[in-house]
Amino acid sequence: MTLEDRFNPISSLNESQLTPLNHYGPVTALKIHNEYVLAGNGSILKVFKVDQNSKTTLIFNKQVLKRNKIHNISISPSRKYVIINGGRSFVVLDFKILISNNLDQFAIIEKAVNEWIITAEFISDDILLILNSHNTVYKLDVSSPDQHFKLLDKIHCNEKSILYSGSITKISDEKVIIAAGTVMNGCIIWELNSKTILHNLTEHEGSIFGVKVDSEGKYIISCSDDRSIKLYDFESGHLFATGWGHGSRIWNLSFFKDTTNGVKIMSAGEDCTLRIWKYIPNQETLQQLELWEDAHRGKHIWSADIDDTNLKVCVSGGADGKIRLHDLSNRGQLTNYNLSFISEQCKIAFKKKEVIKSFTELEQLNLLILVTSGGSIILVDQIHNKFKSVDLSLDEHQKLDGFGLIQSFSDINVVTICSVHGDLLFLKFTDFDSEPTKSWIDDSILGKNKVTNFMVASKPNSNLHYLFIDCPNPRIPFILREFKFDEGIFELQRILLLEQPNQTSFTTTSMSIDFTNNWLFVASRYVSLAAYDLNTTKLESIPLSALHKKISAGDSITSISIIESKENEITLLTIVRDGIYMYIKFDQHFKMSIVHKNHISRGFIEGGYLKDNELILYGFKSSAFYIWNETRQLEITNVLCGGANRLWKVIKYSTGLPLDYKFLFINKSELNIFEFKGRFIDDRFGLINDGTHGREIRDVSISPSLFTDNSRLIMSASEDTTLNLSKLYQDGAVKNIWNINRHVSGLQRIKFLNDTYVASSAANEEFYIWKLDTFNKNIPLVVEYAKLAPSIENPDVRIMDFASIPLKEGFLIATGYSNSDIKLWYFNTETAKFELLVSDTYSTFCILNIDILTFDDKIYIQTTTTDGFFSIFEASEAIESQSLKVPGFDRVIIKQELHQNAVKAVFLKKINENHFKVFTGGDDNALVLSEIIYDGSLNFKTLSFVEDAASSTITSISEGIDETIIVTSVDQILRKWSYKGDSLQCASAVYTTIADTGCSDSTTFNNEKLIVAAGAGLSSWKI
Amino acid sequence: MGKSSKDKRDIYYRRAKEQGWRARSAFKLLQLNDEFQLFNGVKRVVDLCAAPGSWSQVLSRELYQNQNQKDAKIVAVDLQPMTPIEGVTTIQADITHPKTLQSILEIFGGEPADFVCSDGAPDVTGLHDLDEYIQAQLILSALQLTTCILKPGGSFVAKIFRGRDIDLLYSQLGYLFDKVICAKPRSSRGTSLEAFIVCLGYKPRSGWNPTLELNKSTEEFFEDANIGKSYNLQHFELPDPEERKIAKFIACGDLNDGDSDATYTIDIDSTVKGLDPVQMPTAPPYKKALEMKRRGDLVRR
Repeated sequence: MTLEDRFNPISSLNESQLTPLNHYGPVTALKIHNEYVLAGNGSILKVFKVDQNSKTTLIFNKQVLKRNKIHNISISPSRKYVIINGGRSFVVLDFKILISNNLDQFAIIEKAVNEWIITAEFISDDILLILNSHNTVYKLDVSSPDQHFKLLDKIHCNEKSILYSGSITKISDEKVIIAAGTVMNGCIIWELNSKTILHNLTEHEGSIFGVKVDSEGKYIISCSDDRSIKLYDFESGHLFATGWGHGSRIWNLSFFKDTTNGVKIMSAGEDCTLRIWKYIPNQETLQQLELWEDAHRGKHIWSADIDDTNLKVCVSGGADGKIRLHDLSNRGQLTNYNLSFISEQCKIAFKKKEVIKSFTELEQLNLLILVTSGGSIILVDQIHNKFKSVDLSLDEHQKLDGFGLIQSFSDINVVTICSVHGDLLFLKFTDFDSEPTKSWIDDSILGKNKVTNFMVASKPNSNLHYLFIDCPNPRIPFILREFKFDEGIFELQRILLLEQPNQTSFTTTSMSIDFTNNWLFVASRYVSLAAYDLNTTKLESIPLSALHKKISAGDSITSISIIESKENEITLLTIVRDGIYMYIKFDQHFKMSIVHKNHISRGFIEGGYLKDNELILYGFKSSAFYIWNETRQLEITNVLCGGANRLWKVIKYSTGLPLDYKFLFINKSELNIFEFKGRFIDDRFGLINDGTHGREIRDVSISPSLFTDNSRLIMSASEDTTLNLSKLYQDGAVKNIWNINRHVSGLQRIKFLNDTYVASSAANEEFYIWKLDTFNKNIPLVVEYAKLAPSIENPDVRIMDFASIPLKEGFLIATGYSNSDIKLWYFNTETAKFELLVSDTYSTFCILNIDILTFDDKIYIQTTTTDGFFSIFEASEAIESQSLKVPGFDRVIIKQELHQNAVKAVFLKKINENHFKVFTGGDDNALVLSEIIYDGSLNFKTLSFVEDAASSTITSISEGIDETIIVTSVDQILRKWSYKGDSLQCASAVYTTIADTGCSDSTTFNNEKLIVAAGAGLSSWKI
Repeated sequence: MGKSSKDKRDIYYRRAKEQGWRARSAFKLLQLNDEFQLFNGVKRVVDLCAAPGSWSQVLSRELYQNQNQKDAKIVAVDLQPMTPIEGVTTIQADITHPKTLQSILEIFGGEPADFVCSDGAPDVTGLHDLDEYIQAQLILSALQLTTCILKPGGSFVAKIFRGRDIDLLYSQLGYLFDKVICAKPRSSRGTSLEAFIVCLGYKPRSGWNPTLELNKSTEEFFEDANIGKSYNLQHFELPDPEERKIAKFIACGDLNDGDSDATYTIDIDSTVKGLDPVQMPTAPPYKKALEMKRRGDLVRR
């Protein structure tokens, strides 16, 4: 064997030709140190600084290891050094330079041992201990300025079991404890200096994924395969308690530093939850204090750390690449008052069964106003916790007895209470102590009819206010009163009567007025929307302009709000309780188009709004109320309230106030007030590092043309059934906009058909066509436009790939199936209908790739399959066929064996109308260049063949520049191959930290070629 | 996925049930043998990480029934208990333990093995680098026992994950065998990273005397073998580049055997539909957590 032969020549080559831009992938290490959060994002080290106002800044961002992912970060006692290790390698950096934001001063010298490093810890500023995967500790002197580290000792305890986890704890200079979590033999706790095993803890079943000793050497904690965490007495090794609750494997855990109120533990794992536990002495189960669910997308919180004393945060890092800060200092304030307390305070006696029926807040005055079923109005001073009742005459009491709906106009400190027959009481407040100014407007329209709903609106920047009354009798119109508020007086301007939709039960649930066009929208149960043009005031009553019934699945629209308003066009955010939200556009004829629709699986949604174009939703999930940021896919807060069936109200405050949300609710007749200030809401909601899907990405596709803000849209499809619609910028940054949950099976492919339509395919014959639109100029929207009906009732076939070519009024679409079927469809974009044109079967082999080619106006279908073949079929005659029976292909034109087995990747480069270069890559590591030439008939010829083009499966091929292609493979090397002179030559090979590298797409920004490669994460590169 | 739906998805799963194999992986060994004639003239075989035992079943059928070698010896080793298989001696033991080697040698009457195979894989965590490292450790554990027991010229087959560092392993195996091939049987799913390393013609390293010792890690075991592995350098410098080699790839099994990635239509009237798996999975470590969940003991908070 020659020396040359011993090295893989295409493992690393001309690396500068492929420049990494941005990386989104698993966060495998996190460390909080003082005001810094250090994170291992693949091979990249990121350092964030959290300032006193809880604002986080990224101060360091650089790849520090060549190939390995960072698995551990540790800092020396007086902050001289920081060690970053992953796999077999490590780097020791000067901490001061690291945080000085002085990147250029950095000499990163990667070091290595010959075994996987479990953990590393400094026992002094110069002495580093490295624990390897065979339970052996290297003791290193790292003080040499030129990093000539010296091995001082190699220490083991005579038990070299293979480890998954471990920790090193210095309790005193004499006492250093190694806690080793083995793959099969429990936790081995040993003492470094004496090399003696103190305990072998075998209470867990399966592998140990985390084991730690507290800094005083009093306790041991461990977590494992068996979904439990355990707390032991350090001295005796005796098991104190076990914590149950995690739904799957637990990857790590940490002690709280502050033990004044007992031992507390944080844990995180595969189930994407972060939990806090407390040990109650003499109880054998740990008590769960906190639970953050859905802290990350998909699966796995790989890393987490906690600082309960200084920063008072937890930080978590997921397989989704996100890093989140979770506030420990304020988890919300819940106060409650029972009725007898309130009655005592107000000095009024409640009747038997009298309860609070309605409430609202005047936020400027910090007042709550409650209406009881007995017709009393109670004022609550929230600052001083004082209660009093508003003076009402006997007559007034009677009007409100049993029914009183209250609404507020917060900015003018007015509340309005609507009685059962529509009489309106206005109360204008100045403060808690003074009696409010009172005035009544009695109804003259309802007669004996009862009010069912009472809603209000105000015209922005004006003194006009609107009150809307609904009664169940469809012959009684909706009543809209316009008031002018001037010098403390409410003045009725006009009464508009709106014809009710002519249906038995149009139970209104929400109302929104568009003041640009003077339109009014009312939503109701059965997912219906009514629209009125308020300009038509000449008539006695305003006719219904449009009624859209049952606009989606679900029971009831819970909220509508106008989120964009232009002349003759508005966009309405519509929330359906069952978990659906929609952006609906209306034109001047009130023609409706749903331009965005998605669903979330978080119980009920009761409402939503936009905050800086981010969608915030709130509702109930089992017994809790939650507020959720749909754009960032994170929960803002939640509170246990007993569930959805109760009186409640959520109040959101504008930025800069000491509160973000107040949630008022009645539970067991008691008034509950939950106040929440999100410490990180104004700083990306605590999401300090962006991410992507939380599971493997199966396919990516970049939009053919530029989006309005010089970005491109990029869509990705993950094995966990989610689709992402994001924006890709020239600097390689990917910003996720929507996470689409329509598919129910594992995805296979996603492709842009053109700038407006996208299609995706999955298992169980799922095939969707999506339509894109835009909102507020720069926000892309996406809605399901059509779904291909499966061929059988319980489909089990995967649609492996599809292709399309544009036709007049639609597309010709080819679909390739795992059972070897190939189908050709006409998709009409006007009707959103599919028509099956051709159906045939290749053999019994799974179709992996499919494409449509045209030569001389004839249509051909090209496939690659698991048997290693590249094939072309002619389809023109079949497409033209008038026969009633769906025909098969005309004939096989080319059937060429190119690979030993699965042809995973194929890329066709068009040279001209009649000439294509064909690149194929296989499971067999081979890369093949062939060509198709049409000269009246099709000719296929193989030009170049590289047997060992990768050390593992080639998964995708994308276009490069100057006669090159970019090839991804599972060996995690991105390779650039030149095909100049029809000969394949590897021009560049660079390692990528994205594992399971399975797909790619390339695009151009201002003549710069970018490639996006994805798998277990996503990264962008400049070619 | 229900039982019958898995039947449909996977032709080999169905076939294994029909033919009485304990797992579909039996076909992988059969297809490897079709390509490489691994069983030719083989008398003493070690099946490592053998549970549930489908490879031992294949070996047993091949050596005793097909080749009618009455004096053949098959030893199956696993940490898990295994249901007995005719003609196979099962040992519940750790493959890295010197005693295990001793037991096998006793069964072989002190003679070396002709063939060692391992279909073992750890429970994956989802962290690819860690999973690939653990798998590599498993292969090295199998290999260290192999170097102690395999006759010169003998062959070794093991499951690999074709991940980022597989070329390191190819290179190291190249020092120990005449031929190192990465083989992918058609019964192994194309969507999986799984493949098999087929090492033919064992050539012991001259001057190296492999001995299994308690508390010797795999790295320590191979330290003097000089097989191109990188060891700790003076100041812990990163060995770069490392010796890496791409092994020849061979897809094996007849194209007509069936495609493990394809969906097959099954005859609804077929009598084999919904057959129970031959070997039920062993008790998982999270059994207690599952039971607690079922009882409703895992409250939300």
